[in-house]
Amino acid sequence: MMLYLSIVISTLNVKSLLDWLQAHLLACPIKSLSGLDCPGCGFQRSVIALLQGDLSRSVQLYPATIPLIGMGIFAFAHLKLDFKHGALVIKIFYIAISIIILTKYIYKIITYQLI
Amino acid sequence: MSEEQLPQETPQPAPTPNPQPSYPPPHGGFPPPNAGHFGQGMQQSLPNATLVLVFGIISILTCCCFYGVISLILSIVALVVSKKDRALYAAYPQTYTASSYKNLNAGRVCAIIGLILSALLIISFVIAGFVLGWSVVTDQQAMKEFLESLQHN
Repeated sequence: MMLYLSIVISTLNVKSLLDWLQAHLLACPIKSLSGLDCPGCGFQRSVIALLQGDLSRSVQLYPATIPLIGMGIFAFAHLKLDFKHGALVIKIFYIAISIIILTKYIYKIITYQLI
Repeated sequence: MSEEQLPQETPQPAPTPNPQPSYPPPHGGFPPPNAGHFGQGMQQSLPNATLVLVFGIISILTCCCFYGVISLILSIVALVVSKKDRALYAAYPQTYTASSYKNLNAGRVCAIIGLILSALLIISFVIAGFVLGWSVVTDQQAMKEFLESLQHN
């Protein structure tokens, strides 16, 4: 078992995985149609920056990435372990994330694409 | 002296029984301690609470994938399913756990927000299409020229 794991890890090294991800980003249909960003544009680049360990670039590209991943992990743990106020925490996280996404989108559109 | 000290000590153990019953609830939930590991015992979780929560959370992740259609579908499914479960909980509140009802409501809120976001995206895209004309919206170069014309005015 350990042998298999070591073989898999050595063949799937992180750098090649990142290169593969960067070569296979999904294109945003709205952006390819109109040239304008959609509210989700930047998320994949931000995740890759996060995997590379570049936190500031990740936040710059898409500030909601880290809260989103945090909420995903918390929601998974909550469904398994059933925290006391887990549902409330998820709700607060969710509202905060949607506010971050909307403000970032409006700011990005107004500063970089309309003017 | 020793007789006076004894009655003073005897009231002190009296408060300790009170904390003792209050300790089991954080471990096993609200039912009595003899209810075993899964303290809910008679109660069960709502059938679709987890599904609604998961769909609600995914609906914000996919709020822009494929013009927001995936998010729209997921959040509408979550809302429809949660309506059934809410009716179920309202009819038999004793049969289902309160925590699953909380999960259901959280999932419902998430689904509503996801629905609003994706609907806003779709509506704004359609409005832009009708106001500017589809030829402008579906052409990057034309859109760029339109934005530059805005800039010069």
